[in-house]
Amino acid sequence: KHRQRMRKFKNKGKNAAALRMQRVEVSIELRKAKKDEQILKRRNISLHVKEESPSPGQDRSDEVIMSLEEIAKAVNGNNPKLQLLATRDARKLLCKQKDPPINQIIELGLIPRMVEFLSRAENVALQFEAAWALTNIASGTSEHTRAMVEGGAIPAFISLLSSPHMHISEQAVWALGNIAGDGPVYRDALINHDVIPSLLALVSPVTPVGFLRNITWTLSNLCRNKNPYPPLDAVQKILPVLVCLIQHEDKDITVDSCWAVSYLTDGSNDRIQLVVDTGILPRLVELMASAHLMVMTPALRAMGNVVTGTDQQTQAAIDAGVLDVLPRLLRHSKPTIQKEAAWTLSNIAAGPCGQLQQLITCGLLPPLVELLEKGDFKAQKEGVWVVANFTTGGTVDQVVELVRSGVLKPLLNLLSAKDSKTILIILDTLSNLFVAAEKLGETERLCLLVEELDGLEKIEELQNHENNMVYRAALNIIETYFSGEENSDLEPQTDQDGLYDFSVKKQDFNF
Amino acid sequence: MELSDANLQTLTEYLKKTLDPDPAIRRPAEKFLESVEGSQNYPLLLLTLLEKSQENVIKVCASVTFKNYIKRNWRIVGIIVEDEPNKICESDRIAIKANIVPLMLSSPEQIQKQLSDAISIIGREDFPQKWPDLLTEMVNRFQSGDFHVINGVLRTAHSLFKRYRHEFKSNELWTEIKLVLDAFALPLTNLFKATIELCSTHANDASALKVLFSSLILIAKLFYSLNFQDLPEFFEDNMETWMTNFHSLLTLDNKLLQTDDEEEAGLLELLKSQICDNAALYAQKYDEEFQPYLPRFVTAIWNLLVTTGQEVKYDLLVSNAIQFLASVCERPHYKHLFEDQNTLTSICEKVIVPNMEFRAADEEAFEDNSEEYIRRDLEGSDIDTRRRAACDLVRGLCKFFEGPVTGIFSGYVNSMLQEYAKNPSVNWKHKDAAIYLVTSLASKAQTQKHGITQANELVNLTEFFVNHIQPDLKSATVNEFPVLKADGIKYIMIFRNQVPKEQLLMSIPLLINHLQAESIVVHTYAAHALERLFTMRGTNNTTLITAAEMAPFVEVLLTNLFKALTLPGSSENEYIMKAIMRSFSLLQESIIPYIPSVITQLTQKLLAVSKNPSKPHFNHYMFESICLSIRITCKANPEAVGSFEEALFLVFTEILQNDVQEFIPYVFQVMSLLLEMHKNEIPSSYMALFPHLLQPVLWERAGNIPPLVRLLQAYLERGASTIASAAADKIPGLLGVFQKLIASKANDHQGFYLLNSIIEHMPPESVDQYRKQIFILLFQRLQNSKTTKFIKSFLVFINLYCIRYGALALQEIFDSIQPKMFGMVLEKIIIPEIQKVSGQVEKKICAVGITKILTECPPMMDTEYTKLWIPLLQALIGLFELPEDDTIPDEEHFIDIEDTPGYQTAFSQLAFAGKKEHDPVGQMVNNPRIHLAQSLHKLSTACPGRVLSMLSTSLNAEALQYLQGYLQAASVSLL
Repeated sequence: KHRQRMRKFKNKGKNAAALRMQRVEVSIELRKAKKDEQILKRRNISLHVKEESPSPGQDRSDEVIMSLEEIAKAVNGNNPKLQLLATRDARKLLCKQKDPPINQIIELGLIPRMVEFLSRAENVALQFEAAWALTNIASGTSEHTRAMVEGGAIPAFISLLSSPHMHISEQAVWALGNIAGDGPVYRDALINHDVIPSLLALVSPVTPVGFLRNITWTLSNLCRNKNPYPPLDAVQKILPVLVCLIQHEDKDITVDSCWAVSYLTDGSNDRIQLVVDTGILPRLVELMASAHLMVMTPALRAMGNVVTGTDQQTQAAIDAGVLDVLPRLLRHSKPTIQKEAAWTLSNIAAGPCGQLQQLITCGLLPPLVELLEKGDFKAQKEGVWVVANFTTGGTVDQVVELVRSGVLKPLLNLLSAKDSKTILIILDTLSNLFVAAEKLGETERLCLLVEELDGLEKIEELQNHENNMVYRAALNIIETYFSGEENSDLEPQTDQDGLYDFSVKKQDFNF
Repeated sequence: MELSDANLQTLTEYLKKTLDPDPAIRRPAEKFLESVEGSQNYPLLLLTLLEKSQENVIKVCASVTFKNYIKRNWRIVGIIVEDEPNKICESDRIAIKANIVPLMLSSPEQIQKQLSDAISIIGREDFPQKWPDLLTEMVNRFQSGDFHVINGVLRTAHSLFKRYRHEFKSNELWTEIKLVLDAFALPLTNLFKATIELCSTHANDASALKVLFSSLILIAKLFYSLNFQDLPEFFEDNMETWMTNFHSLLTLDNKLLQTDDEEEAGLLELLKSQICDNAALYAQKYDEEFQPYLPRFVTAIWNLLVTTGQEVKYDLLVSNAIQFLASVCERPHYKHLFEDQNTLTSICEKVIVPNMEFRAADEEAFEDNSEEYIRRDLEGSDIDTRRRAACDLVRGLCKFFEGPVTGIFSGYVNSMLQEYAKNPSVNWKHKDAAIYLVTSLASKAQTQKHGITQANELVNLTEFFVNHIQPDLKSATVNEFPVLKADGIKYIMIFRNQVPKEQLLMSIPLLINHLQAESIVVHTYAAHALERLFTMRGTNNTTLITAAEMAPFVEVLLTNLFKALTLPGSSENEYIMKAIMRSFSLLQESIIPYIPSVITQLTQKLLAVSKNPSKPHFNHYMFESICLSIRITCKANPEAVGSFEEALFLVFTEILQNDVQEFIPYVFQVMSLLLEMHKNEIPSSYMALFPHLLQPVLWERAGNIPPLVRLLQAYLERGASTIASAAADKIPGLLGVFQKLIASKANDHQGFYLLNSIIEHMPPESVDQYRKQIFILLFQRLQNSKTTKFIKSFLVFINLYCIRYGALALQEIFDSIQPKMFGMVLEKIIIPEIQKVSGQVEKKICAVGITKILTECPPMMDTEYTKLWIPLLQALIGLFELPEDDTIPDEEHFIDIEDTPGYQTAFSQLAFAGKKEHDPVGQMVNNPRIHLAQSLHKLSTACPGRVLSMLSTSLNAEALQYLQGYLQAASVSLL
């Protein structure tokens, strides 16, 4: 989508096509999964639920009395007392810190029975223990979640949402969050079972904070995942509540609603538009400036997604003040924040020159240069994109401003980066700069500047680069701008095998 | 071909024949092999031979032949190029892939290398999709315990994976890497650990250690490839294992692994060097994760540097290690590792200073391989040298510690200079190091054109120059301490913009004096320094050093420069020749008294090098110098041209007769310059040459065409009437050249240059009989392959013709070729295309020509052509007022590519043989707009009312407004 957009206002060929970068240009990851992402599934191993709402006859010890076989027998038997004890023991096993026996419990075929217990409105304790146990099963692998869903858990949990007992409906919210977090298929299954209205009905001014946190987290999982994205009408239902939740003073609630917004904006422009229309952007900017990394991260992510959108959407982000907070983020000590901030800026820099002007006015160039000089490599790479996009779409004056801010030195230094793509983009950027310099009649000055900053030497070295495109781009710059002083070669010439006697036969002409 | 003994026998015989030195035996055998390589089983026969042949030479030959066969044929290009079918049948492909790995691993090293190459070629195409079990097959061998086999696997893996270091990130690439990591990373790590253990078990077994260290080098290289694109999860989790072991390998030493060779790096050096690269990769790309390990590596690498000797074999290791430190010390968050004064002092003392020393190897190069030395030292191809790395480290450290570093080094510089002063003949190298240190400390930015452009303000460059550089250069003995002399000259050269002008002026005689030094480096540097000083700009865009200031030195400068060319080793020294050229250009008329001697020496040099031209730059500057001599002398005294001709023509004739291809284009340019200097009739010596210039063989060479056309134009300007009277029989030959050029899309503009000169200068009657043919030719080109470039030239030509012969003559000749031709050309070519004409003079020619057609061509007023009168006027006003139309039809974008097969024969244009632009209508018409107004006025007087009524009925309003402006400016009105 960004490509189309770029073509509209920048007819500059190959560079334009690569300007805006979606989050996933390569879907394969070699790295460890990111530590700063939101958690997909959570096991309930804490005791706080019990403390807040002690169920009758509950013992506080973690001691398990029955063996797995005994549990199976009791759960499948008809003695409600034993059923409760067995279910509680199962739940305790599933709460173990290490290696909870999820597989064994599934293999013993306990799930359908436990799902059945969910409907025992008369036995609240049993209902609760079963819900808790199932929550923890759902928190396992996809296999585990599937076993539970196939056991009929979805409708059972959804009906528990309207349980009169808050600790039960809260446990149901949690379980549903785990199911939704499994992926788009179950997420949509939940949505199709009409989970959203019942969930939203739980949100009220009097809902306790702890409960509200769970609801927010579950909502965020309902917004999460692509291929496909959640249905538009579901998103439209969730958004107004999300807008309220994101204003909440509780940090966890804000964080999870931020993540939800980041998922909703990580998509096509019409989805971004839904979010922009809520007027949430100023709040996101506020949260980007938060002192807490866990708040700042999703807010920045969401904003970064918004500016991949149309010019108008990007303008809305600028109007909300995104450019005021970015300098601080570009200078942040954490590499991932630097990187996301630079990525965000790169997409703003792909905009029309009016937006580039705002970028200059808001003082983004100095932190950009700093980032290119001493940022983490991941962030430097994004920074290079900022410069590349800027030089592609900027006016000559703007490009001059960029060069004046000192971008050239770190940019040329990065020609020794160990990343072919980065090198190629820098070489393309240099070509853009030379085009601008030619318009100003300043080619020679730029040549000298590049040489002074040891760039010429690096470009010459790149003529030996193994990557063909890099090598050719380097060669092209050398040949066009740095070849000898007085040996100007004319175009190569060629002959055809003409006859040298001067004669000709007449023919009829018609042009 | 069957897999039979008979076929194996046949193949053996042919393979043997391909090794025969006699081409009569070798060639047919090669042809035979080529003819059968498409047959099924051919590759399998080769594999059988390389495994089982009795003769080792056949084994090796079969393996090479097999590798080349794979290289040529494995890739199936048939999908893209239809007529290149798949030469290797599917069953052979499967059989090759099934057998090649074990075969490679069980082969002796010589054959193993070939097969390993073949595997990586196949792998590039088939891996991983079409060769899924390759990885497992390789990994399984790690357990073999046989390091001959293991190294074979590692080498193959390296050639398969090294492309990860330079390819762009893509889904496809990363999928492959992920697959490789899943299968390979853990076994590789285990192998790494096991190998290191074996190294300590076999610490006393030299031959075992060699094999094990070869493995470690390959493992370290694989680590680099696998970690290049991004930090893989596996390696992040196992960073401790890898980095701890890398670190201890860096600090490892074992006498058994030390080599006696001084030049060639040993296994230990290669391994440590690769580890430095690996650490540098992590430090640059994965800083966040690598941070905990980095300080350890800094210390280890630094200790390594302190303990490594001066031998050449350590160069790569040392420069890699220093570069690692240089890149780390610039990072703000590692600043603390260096900031301690003791640390800085120790780095300066133990790492930088020792690596800046002039070593035996440098001394050798200075004396025996001066050209290479100069290239490295002067042109900056010193990227991998120790000195350069040390220099980069100085600059890196100066980023945060400029003050302390400058202070520490000042101390060193002083003590080194004192050492030198105590006993110069023994301690001269100390001074060399001191100068180098000052240079690297002071230079912050540098360009070829201006030398140092930004200097460290803490270093007093002028003071150092006066106290330590000038005294050396003032010494009476130019041949003493040549290295220091070269250093001093280089100092002037690079700090020329920092040292005050009066110091430079004082240095000039010293530099001139050093042109006499025997050392090639010294006199070359002296010439180069002079050349650079002469190009420095002063105020008002003049040269900084003026001819007047040089007056006292002209004679000695010229004498010494030419004498330098006679010194051993410098007979074709391009720096000296360039200095000669630059001196001429600076000194201008003050060289005139010396020209007789100068031109004799240049001519002799020309004669000598024309026997075997080998230095293109030298030759180029030599011809430039000749051109300058001619221009400067003839400007003051045009008569002198004759003496140049006398001096040069003998050599030129020899060059032309011996067909010295490199020089012929230059000779034509110099001849053009000489001929243009003649004010009167063309001399007979030129006329004698004229027929030879039309020889087809000359025109077959692309590089000759521009200078030859230029030369023929000079003939036409100066001698058109002589040609018409004395060489009329050569006119068809001349036009033949035009025809030859016009036939080529690349050269047609050159053909038009020639034709324009013919039309402009030849007496009309001499070309009368050919005029019609000329047009027919042009029309044919127009009809068959018209290009924008051709049309532009064509339009200029017909308008020039119109100016020279009159509009009526133009119309008549067109219509005599074909009825209504004139109207067709007007309507289809002139009116729609005139906007494309570019160039001031070209546009003017067209404007005047069209004005003539409008106002001096009766058929335009009273035949069916009249309907074109207004459109033509409108087009003319458009030519005046609209921006140039520089669009080029889409289909033309490819023309240049199709038509330029010979890229190598570029034409070397001489700057000082330049020609000024010629305006054939210059005197006749000054302002073409006014000229149009006046001509229209004249026309309207001849036929009152006609012009006005045509204008008022059909000219568009905007054009009319412009036209009224022209009439007003010319103060005329229409009747």
